[in-house]
Amino acid sequence: MLELDRITKRFGRVTVADSLSLAVRPGEAVGVVGPNGAGKTSLFGIISGDLAPDAGEVRFDGRPVTRLDASARCRLGIGRTYQVPRPFEGMTVLENLLVAAEQGAGARGRAGLSLAIRVLAETGLTELADRPAERLGLLHRKRLELARALSTRPKLLLLDEVAGGLTDPEVTELVEIIATARARDGLAVIWIEHVVRALTGTVDRLLCLAAGRIIGDGRPEEVLAAPAVREVFLGTDPR
Amino acid sequence: MTRVIAATVLLLALAAVPYTLGPVAEQPLIGLFSLVALATLWNLLAGFAGLTSFGQQAYLGIGAYALYLLAARGLDPFLGIPLAALVAGAVAVPVSFPVLRLSGGHFAVATWVLAEIFRLAVTLSPALGGNTGVALPGLGGYEPLVRQAVTYWWALGLAACSVLGVWLLARGGFGLRARAVQSDPVAAASSGVRVDRTRRWAYCLAASGTGAVGALLFVYTLYVQPGSIFGVQYSVSMMFMVLIGGIGTIEGPVAGALIFFGLQQALSGYGPWYLVLLGAVAIAVTLFAPRGLWGRLGRPVFPIGYRLE
Ligand SMILES: Nc1ncnc2c1ncn2[C@@H]1O[C@H](COP(=O)(O)OP(=O)(O)OP(=O)(O)O)[C@@H](O)[C@H]1O
Ligand SMILES: [Mg+2]
Repeated sequence: MLELDRITKRFGRVTVADSLSLAVRPGEAVGVVGPNGAGKTSLFGIISGDLAPDAGEVRFDGRPVTRLDASARCRLGIGRTYQVPRPFEGMTVLENLLVAAEQGAGARGRAGLSLAIRVLAETGLTELADRPAERLGLLHRKRLELARALSTRPKLLLLDEVAGGLTDPEVTELVEIIATARARDGLAVIWIEHVVRALTGTVDRLLCLAAGRIIGDGRPEEVLAAPAVREVFLGTDPR
Repeated sequence: MTRVIAATVLLLALAAVPYTLGPVAEQPLIGLFSLVALATLWNLLAGFAGLTSFGQQAYLGIGAYALYLLAARGLDPFLGIPLAALVAGAVAVPVSFPVLRLSGGHFAVATWVLAEIFRLAVTLSPALGGNTGVALPGLGGYEPLVRQAVTYWWALGLAACSVLGVWLLARGGFGLRARAVQSDPVAAASSGVRVDRTRRWAYCLAASGTGAVGALLFVYTLYVQPGSIFGVQYSVSMMFMVLIGGIGTIEGPVAGALIFFGLQQALSGYGPWYLVLLGAVAIAVTLFAPRGLWGRLGRPVFPIGYRLE
């Protein structure tokens, strides 16, 4: 469903994607780990259309989308969250989701409202529906990122460190929310997370990214045991 | 429901002014109504779509000169007002492509420069009267009193349509999109919002309405000069009204227009002190009520948000 074909992206002398190729199948759940600055968030930008690669092609559902902007890619079914939350300030939580439901999922009017209300319930934000987004704490801002991405009814969901800073029970709750969405809509997920514990319950495939390259790809325990991966993490055991 | 009745009663009372209070009241009210329309339209741009323009006078001028060209060809000037609005909107479409590539301060300056270019173009066009300006032909058939009354109704109509139109836009899907774009265009795009299209609609609709006001001002003053109609002071007063009234609300620009109008009336005798006082009011309001006076004191009469309740 998603194919990256020899993607290269540089910021000055920093290479965030080095002729990187990757294929993700429909419904697949892929975890991504890697040291700080490896290019994980940049990879999401390239997939979602926020960032134009210097070379290479992005294909989604069999068609090239490299030249489509972020808005068009979202409407095709790519939903993303931001590592540093970017809620629509000056709008309530519900309104944040309505924008995504109406524009991203194309659910206008009543359909949009019921989609937004359903996502509110699923993500445990119903109580905060009428709260202005700028008055949310970090935990709820991250939750809103997830909820807004789900409201676009994605086929591919890109999660960028949505579990960072959560307690164990909160991580469990988050994993359940994502499992529910996957079970119902069969969406594929790519999930960047430093907290590998959050990933292991969800993903069946793990990528390790370092300096813009995939240095590990396979079953999570195999990838984490690989010498190249262990070396990159330099003692800070990813497990 | 009570709101609808109150608004209807107010509108009917205002519409009856030519029969009740007569010409003395018409003149100042025409001025007030154009301010209400201008502030409301500027708010559509800056308050909802996040586009702070300093160049709306371009469309005042285009509206006025479009009306001149139409009237010179024999069209009744009053019927020319909506056509002038269409012309202003049509001019805004190609203009929007370059200016909307910019944002923030660059956008503001670019729109201002653009208005200056239009002013220069008119100044250099003998067919448009050049620097000296032109008088509006085609109103000779109207009794002066009737002419002023019809002008009054047009002014009232434009103000009412602007407020109602912007409210309907703001409370619907367009308002949601525009507010998202204003808040965070990057996140809006990755939520599926067509950012450029949303901004373009706001820009062209505001231009079109402003063009209608330009045509109206021409009908009212019967004379137009590039030096005044393309003056940046129009955009400055639009900004003043919207900021002191309350940006991003429907009531704010109306309140701002009333305050601005009141200050104008009360202080017009004081020459330059009038400007100093306006400046002082603007500073005081931005310091003590950053969301404008309505944002601080008023309750929304025209709500725009969605609530789960
Ligand atoms: N817009 C930009 N301009 C210049 N450099 C950038 C830009 N975005 C990212 N970088 C650089 O590219 C590198 C990769 O950044 P990226 O955010 O993709 O890493 P990451 O793997 O997500 O890291 P983290 O784990 O810290 O989130 C970093 O060195 C970063 O400083
Ligand atoms: Mg990152």
